[in-house]
Amino acid sequence: MARHLIIGGGTAGLNAIRTIREEDGGGSEITLVSMERPYSRMVLPYYLGETISESHVFTATPASLAAWKVKTLIGRKATALNVKANTLTLDDGSAVEYDDCLIATGSRAAKPPIPGADGPGVHSFWTLDEARKVIADVTPGSRVVMVGAGFISFTILNAILARGAKLTIVEVAPRILPRMVDDACAAIVDRWLRRHGVEIRAGATLTKVEEIKGKRKLSFKSGAPIVADAVIMATGIRTNLEWLKDSGLEMAQDGQGGIVVDDHLRSSVKNVYAAGDVARGKNLVTGAAEVHAIEPTAQEHGRVVGANMAGRDLAYRGSLLMNIVEVCHLDVASFGGWDDKGAEVFTGVRPERSQYRKLLFRGGRLTGAMICGPAEDIWTTNDVGILKGLVQTGSDLSAWKAHLARDPFDVKPAFMATRTTAALLPQTILGRPSHSPSLPQSVATR
Amino acid sequence: MQTGTFQPAKSVIRVSPFEGYTSYAPYTCTQCAEGWCMTACPVGAIQINAAGAKDVLDDKCVGCKLCTIACPYGTMFFDSDSYKAYKCNLCGGAPACAEACPTQAITFEEGPTRDWLGDFAAQRTVHVLAREIA
Repeated sequence: MARHLIIGGGTAGLNAIRTIREEDGGGSEITLVSMERPYSRMVLPYYLGETISESHVFTATPASLAAWKVKTLIGRKATALNVKANTLTLDDGSAVEYDDCLIATGSRAAKPPIPGADGPGVHSFWTLDEARKVIADVTPGSRVVMVGAGFISFTILNAILARGAKLTIVEVAPRILPRMVDDACAAIVDRWLRRHGVEIRAGATLTKVEEIKGKRKLSFKSGAPIVADAVIMATGIRTNLEWLKDSGLEMAQDGQGGIVVDDHLRSSVKNVYAAGDVARGKNLVTGAAEVHAIEPTAQEHGRVVGANMAGRDLAYRGSLLMNIVEVCHLDVASFGGWDDKGAEVFTGVRPERSQYRKLLFRGGRLTGAMICGPAEDIWTTNDVGILKGLVQTGSDLSAWKAHLARDPFDVKPAFMATRTTAALLPQTILGRPSHSPSLPQSVATR
Repeated sequence: MQTGTFQPAKSVIRVSPFEGYTSYAPYTCTQCAEGWCMTACPVGAIQINAAGAKDVLDDKCVGCKLCTIACPYGTMFFDSDSYKAYKCNLCGGAPACAEACPTQAITFEEGPTRDWLGDFAAQRTVHVLAREIA
């Protein structure tokens, strides 16, 4: 019986496990090594905002993992991989043997190297444990400073306001969301947030955090210091790859790093797979090898690896970079090459309605897009999907470019008339219809 | 999908006008094989119901909107009041839209899903595009 080892209990790891079981109905051994009990990082902001309970965040329970016939080593950390002996060493000194394994150890929050960054009341918001600490500290009427105005920071913005705290966002770049949207879109979001009572200080370099009389004092390179009850550092993430430094696996050496993988998401060692934040997989639009540290990529990677581990021969077509965040009922989303400097760009702004659209073309193909608009505007939500479909299929929009240049908001007729639906219908990640996320009957009855 | 209120703005069927509002076509979820919304959901809140349709379980949906960005057809919806995603679930097998439509522009037939709008939309936009270029 094949022995599959899954290292990491996040989105990639859990999707791999489910797919193995969909494919083999329970006919293999699966061992899961995870530092934490599996939960979804995506939904922690809703736990913080108290719209869901803590139990809602878990993606598996001891009972569900047992039903899936998964042997679990929860609370254990992987410390070394011996790809010649096919063994993983854990932090308690024990070893696990495997026939094939998946590295899905994800990322962790990174704090800036400044004095006081690790002091009391200075939090990251990445793990469930960190979320619990933020919940304890962010109370009604408290003053909260969030350092960093990127995607992660914006996913918890609503929750902090919902807890009744007064929020100030500080960002080192000259504007908010520097890695998710362009200047024009950032300006719309900035105005919207200020109107909703959020203070924003962009272009501010934090130099130290001190504890003074139970409060936090933040000092900056220029400008007045800020005193806060709690500080949340949303200053980026780092992939958990250090433990593999002696493994001999091929790693990318440039800034993004990541485990080099082929189109089956196999590393340089063929029975070792990588998925999610740690994998340098293929970009669907450009074909380039890139790290896409986003939930949808982890999910697709995990499923493709699961199918391959179960004996399928499945190539992955590549992942589409995409982000969506809603702040104070304003939707902001970007896709693909939204910052492609070599693209032909059409933009549309309706300032009075806080709406913004950006379409980026390479020839007749839409290769990137950006969208911003009030969440109650139903067309915003529909168009988000339509833009994704156009980028994903690479439909030939040559005949529609003049129309879209005039009105970048009117994407729906172009989507329909270029028969994008017909192009999409045969597309599946696993080469077969997807199953419900619940337990396949074949495993339950085996 | 029935919201329990009379509110066309919440309809999961979008009617698109063509050729200067002289013809129309209804557009809704294809119940695609991949189920992009279902596989994207981080908490397993979208499942396949007895009618074979992808269906949002309200008590599981947290409102993260990942499904709205994952669905490449633009047929995921979001209810700002309930703060949940919603979509066509074929009303569990007896779609109320098909029953209500007075002109049989919407009918419910069992069969493989297909692009029922592409040709219609292509034909009805030829003149518009030609006029724009001229």
